[in-house]
Amino acid sequence: MANTWGYGAMTNSLGDIQNAKAIIIFGANPAVNHPVGFQHFLKAQERNNAQMIVVDPVFTKTAAKADIYVRIRPGTDIAFMYGMLHLIFKNGWEDEDFINDRVYAMDDIKAEAAKWTPEKVSDVTGVPAEKLIQVTKLYASAGVGTLIWAMGLTQHSIGSSNTRLAPILQLALGNMGKEGGGTNILRGHDNVQGATDMGCLSDTLPGYYGLSEGSWKYFASSWGVDFEWLQGRFKSSEWMGKKGFTLARWWAGAINGKDGNDQIHNAGTGLKNLFVMGNGITSIAQQAKVKEGLDNLDMLVLCDPFVNEAAILTDKQDDVFILPAATQFETSGTVVATNRSVQWRTKVVDPLYESKTDQWIMFELAKRLGFYDEFTAGMKIKENKKDFTWPEDATDEIARIIKTIGLTGWTAKRVKSHTENWHMFDQISGRGYGKMKGEYYGLPWPCWTEKHSGSPVLYNTDRSVAEGGMGFRNRFGLEHDGTNLLAEDGSAPKDSFIEGGYPEINKDNIEKVLGITLTEDEKAKIGKNWKVDKSNIIVEKCMEKGLAPYGNAKARAKVWTFPDQIPMHREPLHSPRADLVKEFPSYEDKSNHFRVDTKYISKQTEQEWVKDFPINLVTGRLVNMNGAGMENRASKYLAALSPEMFCQIHPDLAGKYGIRDKSMMWIHSPEGTKIKVKAKYSFSVSEDRIFIPFHFAGHFQGEDLTHKFPAGTAPYASGESANTVTNYGYDIVTQIPETKGGLCRIEYAKEEA
Amino acid sequence: MGEFARLNFYCDEHRCINCDGCSVACAEAHELPEYISRRKVITMNEGIENMEYSLSIACMHCTDAPCQQVCPVDCFYIRADGIVLHDKDKCIGCAYCLYACPFGAPQFPLDGAFGTKGVMDKCTMCAGGPEETNSHEERELYGQNRISEGKVPVCAAMCSTKALLVGDSAKISDIYRERILSKGHGAKTQPYGWDVAYGKKL
Repeated sequence: MANTWGYGAMTNSLGDIQNAKAIIIFGANPAVNHPVGFQHFLKAQERNNAQMIVVDPVFTKTAAKADIYVRIRPGTDIAFMYGMLHLIFKNGWEDEDFINDRVYAMDDIKAEAAKWTPEKVSDVTGVPAEKLIQVTKLYASAGVGTLIWAMGLTQHSIGSSNTRLAPILQLALGNMGKEGGGTNILRGHDNVQGATDMGCLSDTLPGYYGLSEGSWKYFASSWGVDFEWLQGRFKSSEWMGKKGFTLARWWAGAINGKDGNDQIHNAGTGLKNLFVMGNGITSIAQQAKVKEGLDNLDMLVLCDPFVNEAAILTDKQDDVFILPAATQFETSGTVVATNRSVQWRTKVVDPLYESKTDQWIMFELAKRLGFYDEFTAGMKIKENKKDFTWPEDATDEIARIIKTIGLTGWTAKRVKSHTENWHMFDQISGRGYGKMKGEYYGLPWPCWTEKHSGSPVLYNTDRSVAEGGMGFRNRFGLEHDGTNLLAEDGSAPKDSFIEGGYPEINKDNIEKVLGITLTEDEKAKIGKNWKVDKSNIIVEKCMEKGLAPYGNAKARAKVWTFPDQIPMHREPLHSPRADLVKEFPSYEDKSNHFRVDTKYISKQTEQEWVKDFPINLVTGRLVNMNGAGMENRASKYLAALSPEMFCQIHPDLAGKYGIRDKSMMWIHSPEGTKIKVKAKYSFSVSEDRIFIPFHFAGHFQGEDLTHKFPAGTAPYASGESANTVTNYGYDIVTQIPETKGGLCRIEYAKEEA
Repeated sequence: MGEFARLNFYCDEHRCINCDGCSVACAEAHELPEYISRRKVITMNEGIENMEYSLSIACMHCTDAPCQQVCPVDCFYIRADGIVLHDKDKCIGCAYCLYACPFGAPQFPLDGAFGTKGVMDKCTMCAGGPEETNSHEERELYGQNRISEGKVPVCAAMCSTKALLVGDSAKISDIYRERILSKGHGAKTQPYGWDVAYGKKL
């Protein structure tokens, strides 16, 4: 996403889906995962006659509401989308002007799409050719259409290619930058967008600034600390710029290459301590490895409102600390929704019992580690205060520093006024009325200045920049292979000073591009470019001229820095089609991938996996739970809806193995692990695959570990973690685990007397 | 609510997604034992293409309520606004009402060594029972009394897609008519609660 057009976020909003004439959903189940947001899908059907197409390996609750359901083989979305593109180009359904003016390298896509005839697509995906034709014709001819995805598209070894081809499909149809269009990625949990924006990642500083020295220096001065002091916190200066471990594979760091495990590159040492704040690491792929990682730690700290089940998964006896964290109701501050909009959350009650807020825990930790003053310095800078007020000063600090995604307008005062007046905003467009006129609810980013309206629809050139309009971001240079990467004439946002494309604005080009002369005072104050311009003069000048500070460029269909420059279908590491593995093999193995050597082709060809593991394994969510489910299973009434871990299995498949409805069954993974779960006959899955939910923990490979809970803390429901049997496999760019397309073997589990 | 208001439930089959928000909200609000389902979402033909549908079902608060007709101890009473309630002190737990009810609404306790039946429990439309309104006794026996506080029953308030509607039958039919009439006419815009706050539509 970010590599296609500049930002990696939902482009429109849930409400805007009501404006769609067609909705196509890949690997997302909003009826279950976003039940309230799903009302907008239903209203689009009711009011706008929108046709809803659901492409999913499992017939979900969302599929039950679809006009067309497409049962696809897991991990073959690229083949399906190329099939759509094949038909679009063949029949001239593409938006030629849009592609010419605003897209780079669509010809490369066209050439690859030519290979994906409906017959070929049908062979790879399992979708009948007629259905592909029906879906494509409907979607391409409906008028503006929105494309939805979630983890079903991303959690694959080719996830980063999937999430590029989906935007390309929208670009080909000219569905970007339009109300009712866009690529609407559904964030799975409360404030996931905010956590990502704040850099809860191992490869970037907050605001997607990356880890370059320039970025570190910008943050050092913005935080009010010495760059050299920051540098001194690392083993050596080079480690400051290196990516860290990821959530998916931190355990490899703790295991440190022992017993034939993947080797790590971590300055000659393993991970010793793990500090977990509110993360269900018991819902991460490869639980047996997670357990091994936990067992190998020197110290484990878990901060959660309920006991994090990592504490009972590990056999570690000493130096495991469980800190009682407060919930979101016991503190206040901002949260960011899936559509890039911000809200203020007010404290309901003071922290109960001995629980402490997250910020209290972090402040105390910083004090004891000896850097509390540096840790909190940034909050005092704006008004040169002696002390700070939490969380208002933290919010203002974020607004002061984060320019890349335009958080300048998100001051605590403004955010509060939006939340307090939320009834004055339109429920679909987010447009304000009455005294909130001229602003969009929650000031969806980029919100360039303290007066800016917010940008409800990214890349919309029908609006002026002042009203949230913009072109695609100029992020990848001015030209590539001799082709212009800036947008063509006539594709600038409304009321723009320049008609066509222009580069991102910096100190050197501002006068020339904007046709202005800066005063000496302004020249002295201005930063090197719009992203690090603390004075915000570049942005203010751009606003006056109706320009987006980040430029107006073409989206790119080709990412020349990726292993696959254009998205290519590659079979999952564990594929049920041995013949297609030969035709579409995975990547070469990758050394030092977020510090861990990662297997691709060697794992895929280690053996013909399908011989011993003939069934596709799909995991997903239940409506009553989220994440690892620890807080949901601690609720009596939520737990009652699904009191036991189960497996959805087609009766015909179950029959072959003598598995009866409600009897116990074993699921074995290629990694040699297994889980014992209750069989639940279901027609939602076809005979070649099973579905298991990933919200359970507390049992491990047939063993009940719940006796290990401290007295009185066990949840109402416990069970095997689905991720004990999800397969090895990680995305080639992001390292997200391949949980949505693995293999398994099943057998009837005899009840013990 | 007009003078002759009669309160009803209505569940829009197109909108219901079986999220169980209604039933969990109900159980949580009234602190029900886990074996009592005052409200339940039923899904038919699960997993079968073009055949699956869901509906949220509870006591429908009938005008000519069969439960009341068959009750041997006459424990039922119907309020002026149409809410069907019963007196747990009179109820003998015979389960005749369960035979008579077309919706499977009456619920019976399942605790005790042999699943003793005990007195009946059912949806009160969040209107409590014959005990003093909002008293401790009422809350213990029948759960919250939200109607007396001017609140919507908790199930409909919680409904994520606004499939489940409750209120004066005239008002419900207005909402539903508007839904039908707006079909195919494009997205309609209105700030949340604007008409409540400012008394007019934009």
